[in-house]
Amino acid sequence: MILVEGRVFQLVWLIFFLGAVYVMIRRARAGLPIPEIRKIPGLEAIDEAIGRATEMGRPVHYSPGIGSISNPQTIASYAVLSYVARRCAEYDTRLIQTNRQITVHAVNQEIIKQAYLEAGRPDAYNPDDVRFLSTWQFGYTSGVLGIFQRERPAANILFGAFWAEAMILAETGHHVGAIQIGATANTAQIPFFVAGCDYALIGEEMYAASAYLSKEPVLSGTVVGQDIAKMVTFAFIILGFILEQVQGENNWLRVLFSK
Amino acid sequence: MFITAVSGLVVVFSRYFQLGEQWNLTTTLDRWSLVSAAFAIGLGLGNLTRIHYRNVKRRREHWPFSLYLIIVMWAYMILGLYQDVEGTHFRWIYDAVLMQLSATIYGIIAFYISSAAYRAFKIRTREAAVMMIAAVIVMFGVAPIGDAIWANWGKVSDWIMNYLNVAGRRGILLGAYLGSFAVAMRIILGLERAHLGGIGTGTTIQ
Repeated sequence: MILVEGRVFQLVWLIFFLGAVYVMIRRARAGLPIPEIRKIPGLEAIDEAIGRATEMGRPVHYSPGIGSISNPQTIASYAVLSYVARRCAEYDTRLIQTNRQITVHAVNQEIIKQAYLEAGRPDAYNPDDVRFLSTWQFGYTSGVLGIFQRERPAANILFGAFWAEAMILAETGHHVGAIQIGATANTAQIPFFVAGCDYALIGEEMYAASAYLSKEPVLSGTVVGQDIAKMVTFAFIILGFILEQVQGENNWLRVLFSK
Repeated sequence: MFITAVSGLVVVFSRYFQLGEQWNLTTTLDRWSLVSAAFAIGLGLGNLTRIHYRNVKRRREHWPFSLYLIIVMWAYMILGLYQDVEGTHFRWIYDAVLMQLSATIYGIIAFYISSAAYRAFKIRTREAAVMMIAAVIVMFGVAPIGDAIWANWGKVSDWIMNYLNVAGRRGILLGAYLGSFAVAMRIILGLERAHLGGIGTGTTIQ
């Protein structure tokens, strides 16, 4: 058999997902109507946060979390960083960006430099404000705490994969009076962001950020495709629940999923 | 962008096709990624040294801390190269200083949780009230005093954690997995290029 046993259904599911996204992208490109992404207050608040920092003459702090470069949450944060950097360049507001992973640091440096260039302010880009602090989790955390106390940012944007440091960063940001936007898909940390931040993005909302911020129909199409897949998944869950009650453990859906 | 797309497709191919599994393509890619990450450590060292050297040179505020950082960082690295990572002094600094400092920072989370909980549990909305009630029940369920007040706190607490909490978490996880998958697809298809130093599809972000 050409396909790996036990993963056939997964591949079928992948093709379905690709198909749904492809159809939505085609519709968007053809100018046909596609459902709009609902309002996400956390993303709407980014401009408000940067505006506040500009008025107060204080910097904006941005953290992409402590995940590796291959973590999907880190990847999702690149688009938001790009947006934030561009806005900061336009408003002439200082952006302090801190990193735990050196590979992420290198990518973020390029993203910020490019954003300043696109905003027509390459001279305003300060490489010293894109900082690699430590590969050590709590070394990075204490580094950020030090920056909060010294530089007192007016806006704190935490967007990426966070673990135990989430609560410390959010609370310290609150104590220095920063308006805070927290986003993570790590379920254990979401309550901390909900409690500590002014705005929290939960799970999938952070993955829709690039489409939401760009207002680009093609990118929105991928989010709509994702939602279609989600609805079909929920339908399978309900169907699975019913079949488990009626047919027991050896129901046809379970057999299909194990193919 | 081409490299990103090919790498992504290689991983998909390795997962679903036997030939891909036999060729061990994912392991090879992982190894390449590890090698490039090891090189990147030098970048980090360079970045830290450059920033803090400038702080010292220009006598910026708190410059003595920058000097301290440069000395400690380079001294510890040289010690590690000289002694090996299992060397007595190298190991001692690691165990007696680094580990303790880490544990201290980790320990202060408890205080931060208390102050955040105080703000979060102020009953201003219906949702906050529900959260407050659930939190009180769970707290009584795990604290010894709960059992002394009413023997069934533990059962109610377990029910909240094992059913309501798990259902919510799984719902969020499901959305997050599909979301991360959509991001991966956007990158493989070249629709999202922020990681290459561009923005989205290259159009103006509004």
